[in-house]
Amino acid sequence: MPPSDEGIQNIDRLIHEPSRLVIMMHLYVVESADFQFLQHQTEMTPGNLSSHLRKLEDAVYVEVTKEFWDRTPHTALKLTKKGREAFKEYRRNVKQFIDKLPE
Amino acid sequence: MSYHQDGLIDIIVGLYALAFGLGIVADKILDFSFAVIMPGMMIAIVLPIWLAAKRKITMPRIGYVNIGAKGSNKIFAVFMGLAVASLGAFFLFTLATFQNGRPEWIETILFQYGMIWIGLGAAVIGSLFAYTMGLKRLHAYGLLTLALFVSGYFLAFPFEYLLILVGGVIMACGVALLVQFIHKYPLQKGASDNAAQ
Repeated sequence: MPPSDEGIQNIDRLIHEPSRLVIMMHLYVVESADFQFLQHQTEMTPGNLSSHLRKLEDAVYVEVTKEFWDRTPHTALKLTKKGREAFKEYRRNVKQFIDKLPE
Repeated sequence: MSYHQDGLIDIIVGLYALAFGLGIVADKILDFSFAVIMPGMMIAIVLPIWLAAKRKITMPRIGYVNIGAKGSNKIFAVFMGLAVASLGAFFLFTLATFQNGRPEWIETILFQYGMIWIGLGAAVIGSLFAYTMGLKRLHAYGLLTLALFVSGYFLAFPFEYLLILVGGVIMACGVALLVQFIHKYPLQKGASDNAAQ
């Protein structure tokens, strides 16, 4: 019998995209990080990272704060409460869906 | 990638052990208690330098991360554990040193095998911090200290020179890591903020 795809529609496609999933995973385990740290961790180009961050910011999953440190611009990134909840739910849904597969 | 791969923590720990060993040597030569004031002096001098180095060397290269309460709680638990263990050790030491009619076995265990205790302490502390910070090389430093102090005990090698040796080795590893880190992550122009506006 072919596996059922029931439940796949519950998976958040905004998070499911691999690059954004990596961003969300990194931000999930920390309180906050800056753009440069995330760029090193994800090994994305600045443009690519910015573009994905903008999508996550538009969905209010990520909060972007721009500030100055020693007169140098600094971008701090953190998951919002909504983003953290969405990631938890995504994790649950993926696990449920995968767990349905026979061995 | 670890936030401590820059080797700064190794340099600080090594410098601390080195300075403490040199302080004891200076005590013996100049008859002045450098070893007593050295820990305080080192904290007052080295901590601001370490923080400044993190800000000037590490952050512009790999960015900044705040690990948050989960990570801090783990470190806090280790510090609390160490504080309680130190207090217990201090209590035992006081008991053995100042109490009249102290049992001889306490004196023997504490003073005769003092070098071995220090080595064991370093290995335990190294392992705790290695686990908390996810830095495997701290296991190696702890084991190196244990091996040196145990062999120093049997070879009757002076404590202060062992401390200088351990400090020197750890500091040299830290400098090597720092050089490697600087080459691996060169400073980029406008590195502190690459976010597309």
